[in-house]
Amino acid sequence: MSEPDLALLLTGLACLVLRLAGVLLAGRLRADHPFIAWASSVAQATLAVFVVLAVLAPTGALAQLPLHARLVGLGVGVAAYFLLRERLLPALAIGLVAVVLVG
Amino acid sequence: MHPAVFLGARAALAAPAIAMGATFLAFGAAVREAGLSAGWALACAWAVYGMPGQLVVLQSASAGGGVIATVVGAVAVNARFLPMAVALTPWLRRRDGDTRPLLLAHFISITTWAAAMRVLPDQPVSARLPWFAGFCAGAFLIAGASTVAGHVLAGAMPAPLRTALVFANPLYFALLMSADLTRAGPRRALLAGAAAAPLALVLPPAWGLLAAGLIGGTVAFLIGHRRA
Repeated sequence: MSEPDLALLLTGLACLVLRLAGVLLAGRLRADHPFIAWASSVAQATLAVFVVLAVLAPTGALAQLPLHARLVGLGVGVAAYFLLRERLLPALAIGLVAVVLVG
Repeated sequence: MHPAVFLGARAALAAPAIAMGATFLAFGAAVREAGLSAGWALACAWAVYGMPGQLVVLQSASAGGGVIATVVGAVAVNARFLPMAVALTPWLRRRDGDTRPLLLAHFISITTWAAAMRVLPDQPVSARLPWFAGFCAGAFLIAGASTVAGHVLAGAMPAPLRTALVFANPLYFALLMSADLTRAGPRRALLAGAAAAPLALVLPPAWGLLAAGLIGGTVAFLIGHRRA
């Protein structure tokens, strides 16, 4: 097995272990248990970090998009979301069109 | 089959499908550019099933990065799966000791998690796991099909379009977060996470996301706990 294939296999297994561990750790706890509430809080905060980094300090393909295009795409998308009474799909499309037009 | 399975699948085939499809399309194209096969692209998308981790594995496969370093890096950027699985599991169980959520563990991703946390609390207990199973099946198939399509279409995609596709992913998550800003608990966590984000810039890239999320999430939890 080549190195890239081995790395892929082990990463896949490790990610599965992470997910199974999460399910097992939750055990019999209810949704309002402090441990569950803490895990939810960490998951949500991680998502916020992910989005802020993707917009303000991206790496890889996203970095090829200028900062103003990323900010305009985010602003237009979120504004459209609230103006269109929280409809995801049109807001997503409008935000992406804005990125292509400005970028 | 429980009717909620079809409702879940139908929910996956709306906005989540577009956002996920766009991202995996861009991923498939990137794998083609790195000189790897469509089969490898599909294996990576389905085995890792979390975009930041997939990109680490791809990067290492194309540039050479050492097996251990790759696995550690990919797992660190995908470590959010653990708290996500913890938070989701109470909504999937029908009764104490229900082991069926383990069967769906592999399909927990940002997209499936965020959708489930929005929809499941309002569903009857018996419909929750079937709804999630349907949603996961739809999302998984879309991810796989988009990856292969991206690999096939790589040459035909102009660069601006591909970059816009990559932006679909963070924009979609930002919209999901906007929806959550109207609720006090999630709002606290999201704002604390955004405030902690600069920490990720000064820490090693592999651990930055995880550390900033842990710190922001814990602070938000402690503030909420004291107020409750």
